Amino acid sequence: MREVSTVLEVARVSKSFGANHAVDDVSFAVERGRICGLLGRNGAGKTTTLRMINGIFLPDRGAITLFGSSRHRDSRDRVGYLPEERGLYRKMRVLEQLLFFAEIKRRRAAEAASQARMWLERLELWPLRDRKLEELSRGNQQKVQLIAALLHEPELLVLDGPMSGFDPVNVVLVRRILQELAAAGRAILLSTHQMAEAEKLVDEIVLIHAGKVVLAGEIEAVRSSFGQNTLHVGFSGDGAAVHAAPGVERATVHGHAAELRLAAGADPQETLAFLLPRLRLTRFEVAAPSLEEIFIDQVGAETLAAEAAS
Amino acid sequence: MRALAVFKREYLQVVRKKSFLILTVLAPFLMAGLIVVPALASLKGLGAKRVALVDGTGALAADVESEREHETALPGSSGDGSGPGRRRRAQAASALAIEYVAPGREVEITLRETVARLQTAAGTGAAHFDGVFYVPAGALENPGVKLTYYTRASVDFITQERMNRIVNRALVRRRLENRGVSAAEIERLLQSAVTEGVQVSPSGSKRGRGDLEFLGAFVFVLLLLLPMIIYGQEIMRGVVAEKSDRVVEILISSMSALELLSGKVLGLAAAGLTQVGIWMAMAAGAVGVAGGLGSLGGIGIDPLRYISARTVAFFFIFYVLGYLIYACLYAAAGAVSNSEKEAQQMLAPLILVLMVPWILAMPILQSPESRFAVALSLVPVFTPITMFLRVLASEPPLWQIALSVALSVGTIYILFALTAKIFRVGILIYGKRPTIPEIWRWLKAA
Repeated sequence: MREVSTVLEVARVSKSFGANHAVDDVSFAVERGRICGLLGRNGAGKTTTLRMINGIFLPDRGAITLFGSSRHRDSRDRVGYLPEERGLYRKMRVLEQLLFFAEIKRRRAAEAASQARMWLERLELWPLRDRKLEELSRGNQQKVQLIAALLHEPELLVLDGPMSGFDPVNVVLVRRILQELAAAGRAILLSTHQMAEAEKLVDEIVLIHAGKVVLAGEIEAVRSSFGQNTLHVGFSGDGAAVHAAPGVERATVHGHAAELRLAAGADPQETLAFLLPRLRLTRFEVAAPSLEEIFIDQVGAETLAAEAAS
Repeated sequence: MRALAVFKREYLQVVRKKSFLILTVLAPFLMAGLIVVPALASLKGLGAKRVALVDGTGALAADVESEREHETALPGSSGDGSGPGRRRRAQAASALAIEYVAPGREVEITLRETVARLQTAAGTGAAHFDGVFYVPAGALENPGVKLTYYTRASVDFITQERMNRIVNRALVRRRLENRGVSAAEIERLLQSAVTEGVQVSPSGSKRGRGDLEFLGAFVFVLLLLLPMIIYGQEIMRGVVAEKSDRVVEILISSMSALELLSGKVLGLAAAGLTQVGIWMAMAAGAVGVAGGLGSLGGIGIDPLRYISARTVAFFFIFYVLGYLIYACLYAAAGAVSNSEKEAQQMLAPLILVLMVPWILAMPILQSPESRFAVALSLVPVFTPITMFLRVLASEPPLWQIALSVALSVGTIYILFALTAKIFRVGILIYGKRPTIPEIWRWLKAA
């Protein structure tokens, strides 16, 4: 039974390239007004999944339903797509290029022109509108790519790594735009392997590994399902001590912060007592694990353990 | 409508390039240069020949010189009513200097000395010459005499032929004079008749200028062929670039492969037509101006004969047919390749095939109704150029033209469908170059 608000439904979809099962029995749905993050490591099957949604590959098995139709061509004008790598004409001028992409989505020229101006101004590209794409910086090219995906006001945005190449200011700018679009009722499906970014942006996640969905759901529900078993620690000084702390199952240190997963039944007080004389603490919090921690736990533990052992 | 957007983009992207403007403006001059420069060079003596004539009879000096002048005379300079045939030969001939060597006391010795000079004087200098032509002593009395031409170059049969003609006419002249025929009488006897070519066709007959017909036909076929190659390559390059830039992902998720392919192919066809149209207008303008000045009228060129409505109409028909066939092949090659270089390699055999009618243009123009020409003009890939050549050279039966057009249209229909499939699948395969069996599987699967 499909809800009225479901824009995209991926049902038990599989795709192989030769012996490589790129996508294996994947199912999820995206609803109007929601931002869904497709997470996974490089080569997990994210891009293949997004390409199937865009009718570039046909699934070997399973069905992809867009706006209630399983024929991609019925709904292709209602979808905006930002490919993983640059998908723009290098030699074409920015504005002209955007209008071309709006035209192939059958947008009226006048509407597309005013929309293009609005977006270019908002993303600080209007002065560059007559430059050839290849003359732009990587970040600016990515902005053009984003505008190309949303210029025709699609009801579903499929973004393969939308934040790649952006500086922190642009990340915030684009995050705001995507949140606005979702608030206006658009559905957004984006893939990323930057967990910190996903955490701030998405409403729900679909985590895939080796072509299979390993975890899915609302982001808060997913996090709390892992319980309040994680210490978020901030400190100054050498962080090596955290690895030896009692009751810690795994420690991930990033510079002056660390995330410590507690073993079952461990007492955070003991860990604190151990750390106090050894580090100058700036933060100590008991909370649900971060998305990154969950990600590593679900799909990266083996690789990291093997690397640490070697 | 989506195809229209692609059409517009492709057309503008080509037409607005600087290289398009440059090619459009310069190509006619280049082409004219390619035709005019060699002609000028040979006229102005780039291929000048010096031949020593060892004359055993000792009596040919004056006659040989006057025959040489007569033979190399420029049009109009010898007022003896020489026809177009003679004039043409004169235009094509390079300068020829004959150094007369008197027989001396013993002609055999003179010959040996002169040939020795030919052997040793490999360099240049005053004594340099390209060959020694030998007339034995009894040449005037003995009709079965054998003349000899000594030369260093093994293939200089043109100079040999010219010397042979000049010396023979001088010999005949001398023989007649020895029999007491008057100079005026000899002039009349030696006057050769001129042949004029007349082309007969169902629509009547017309006087031919064979050489100019040939030239015109070659220019037209070049106009047909050049855009096919230029814009075929452009399509291929475009496809490879879209593939490597991944623009194709957006395109193919927004439209069908057939829409994309037809937009591209037709957009570039239109660019090619624009260019050829400009060239034709330039040519017509140039001919018009020159005609107005009377310089072309003077040597009997009627420009309208070469740019008739019929020719132009057939040109457009066969341009479109030929272009579409090759564009599909180029697009398919681009779609299954990962780099321009790879695509070029894949295309090398195709370009060879494309050149077949061009290589055979001469025999086809000479015998446009031969069984071979007719057969070739009905083989789909060769049809456009071959049938166009036949249309230029004669008037093929209507059913043959209709059949060739129908076959081409059918071929294009099939090629478009196939290419769209190859395009759809091949364009998304990155990395590995596909094998022929793989391409075959795609064709069946897509």
